[in-house]
Amino acid sequence: MPHKTNPLVLFIKESWLLLVSAFIFGLLLAGINAAWSPKVAANKELKIQDAIVALIPATANTQIAVDNQPIKLSDKDSAKTSIFKALDKNNKLIGFAFTASGAGYADRIDLMIAVDPDFKKFLGYKVIFSNETAGFGSKIKKPFYRDQYIGAPAKKLTLKKLGNAKKIDDEIIAISGATISSTAVIDIFNKYVDKVKELMTQKGLLQ
Amino acid sequence: MANSDSPKALPTLLAGLWKENPVLALLLGMCPTLAVTSDVKSALTMGLSTAFVLLCSNIVVSLMRNLLKPHLRILMFTLTIATFVTIADLYLKAFLPAMSDKLGPYIPLIIVNCIIICRAEACASKNGLFISIIDAIGMGFGFTITLCMLGAIREILSTGAVFGKQILPAISENWYLTGGMPDGFIPMFAFALPVGAFVTLGLILGLVNMINKKTA
Amino acid sequence: MDTLTTLVLGFLSIVFVNNLVFSKFLGICPYLGVSGRIDMAFGMGLAVTFVITLSGTLTWLIDHALLIPNNLDILRYVCFILVIAGAVQLVEMYVRKFFPTLYESFGIFLALITTNCAILGLCLFLNLWKVDNIVEAVVLSFGAGIGFTMAICIMAGIRENLQLANVPEALKGAPITLITAGLLSMAFMGFEGMIK
Repeated sequence: MPHKTNPLVLFIKESWLLLVSAFIFGLLLAGINAAWSPKVAANKELKIQDAIVALIPATANTQIAVDNQPIKLSDKDSAKTSIFKALDKNNKLIGFAFTASGAGYADRIDLMIAVDPDFKKFLGYKVIFSNETAGFGSKIKKPFYRDQYIGAPAKKLTLKKLGNAKKIDDEIIAISGATISSTAVIDIFNKYVDKVKELMTQKGLLQ
Repeated sequence: MANSDSPKALPTLLAGLWKENPVLALLLGMCPTLAVTSDVKSALTMGLSTAFVLLCSNIVVSLMRNLLKPHLRILMFTLTIATFVTIADLYLKAFLPAMSDKLGPYIPLIIVNCIIICRAEACASKNGLFISIIDAIGMGFGFTITLCMLGAIREILSTGAVFGKQILPAISENWYLTGGMPDGFIPMFAFALPVGAFVTLGLILGLVNMINKKTA
Repeated sequence: MDTLTTLVLGFLSIVFVNNLVFSKFLGICPYLGVSGRIDMAFGMGLAVTFVITLSGTLTWLIDHALLIPNNLDILRYVCFILVIAGAVQLVEMYVRKFFPTLYESFGIFLALITTNCAILGLCLFLNLWKVDNIVEAVVLSFGAGIGFTMAICIMAGIRENLQLANVPEALKGAPITLITAGLLSMAFMGFEGMIK
């Protein structure tokens, strides 16, 4: 062994490569992030916009009315929601959309739910995030189930195993083989509908 | 660094495709192989992202191979890999947002994909730039092809489609109510579930074993 | 739901319903490699449980105390993997120093754990599932470890018995293990939907 070296010198001698490359990688990441993050943010916005347009086709423009506001769903359950205004090309209000989430069959389900400007009727929902079992639970994304919500009265809904799925009312017919996912969606609706209405009245969005 | 027994380019390239195929022969990188192969599109995205990270990390490691301190080696590899995985993840988020949502945490999990660290250790830290790049291309390509193959099998069996395009005749909804024979391909949903992943890969590995035995 | 119920349900769900091995395909490599003998599988499982709890908690803390408030999402993956590698190193040093006998039986697995995708996977899922409470993070990480241990031990038990079975030549080794895992994952699907 040679004579004792200063520990700091030893440290730098051993790890200079690590430090230098950590610095270079950091710069690289910062550069790429700066270049691409506007695009990532734009994508997120576009996704929300797309979801709203899919629900309210005449939408030309969307406005965020309430951003990630905590709401109480029940005594012990609280969540966050964002509410968007959908405007047509003459800037007339044609509906609202709000985000809602709940527990699904396997994982969380995030929905975008649309209602008409007076909060009288639902205009449908779109699944923003779900991990439901392919082929069974993922049918909550399919028209058979989704269409039943379009035009349904904006109040508490009930789930039925059998019935006429074509008739639009407060009775929703479950997907056979995916009762739990069907229940999950309707639960999310029922948990949010009154509370969101309350919040919107509070914020002066509804008369 | 030129020594007589340094590997040749062509055999290195081909090794990754069959003899040392990361999935079929080395059994490396199983998690993404099983998790994202429920359809071809995700499999392809995953394969290409992994190949990209593999290529970049092999280049970086090969360039600094003479400067590496043995006990900090693994840390250095991990740092390099994590950086490039972050870049790949950002790229997907920016340009293929739908894919990025679908693959979710499996993209960052490329960091712990054993293929990459194994190639860094076994190949890039011992060989020159050229061989390392060839090795990364061969391995990355082998990995991508295997993933796509699995994805194609599972997607056909579970939906009758490839790349989201129906190739087997689709079955009409509620065909069983008419009392007749099925008028199309009955989708086997099980192949989109974890079961399908495990069983398909198991059977493919069995097939590979059989072929290897025949040719040996 | 009150907190305790949430915790118990979360724990059960990650052990059975969202078992990392059977439903998220995480930690397959050690699962195939080590699960030949039941005692080794148990040792590996314990080591993983320990590291997963430690790193799950630490990464959650780092994520919520440093990365999210400062908008440093971009450094998440680098930080997570360094924390895991560091935690594994620390545990290894600690065990070697204070429990030499334990180290003898356990030590070989510790180095392998860094590249066990179950650990990084769990840390990422904690972020994805928007877990916003430290107790929940700890319980979920611990549950993930227990789930992994259970999966790997069941598998080891089956494989010990498989040695006596007459498996077709071509399927010996990894293929039959994968097929068995497939059947097991189907069995575990039965737990799905039990917890909401």
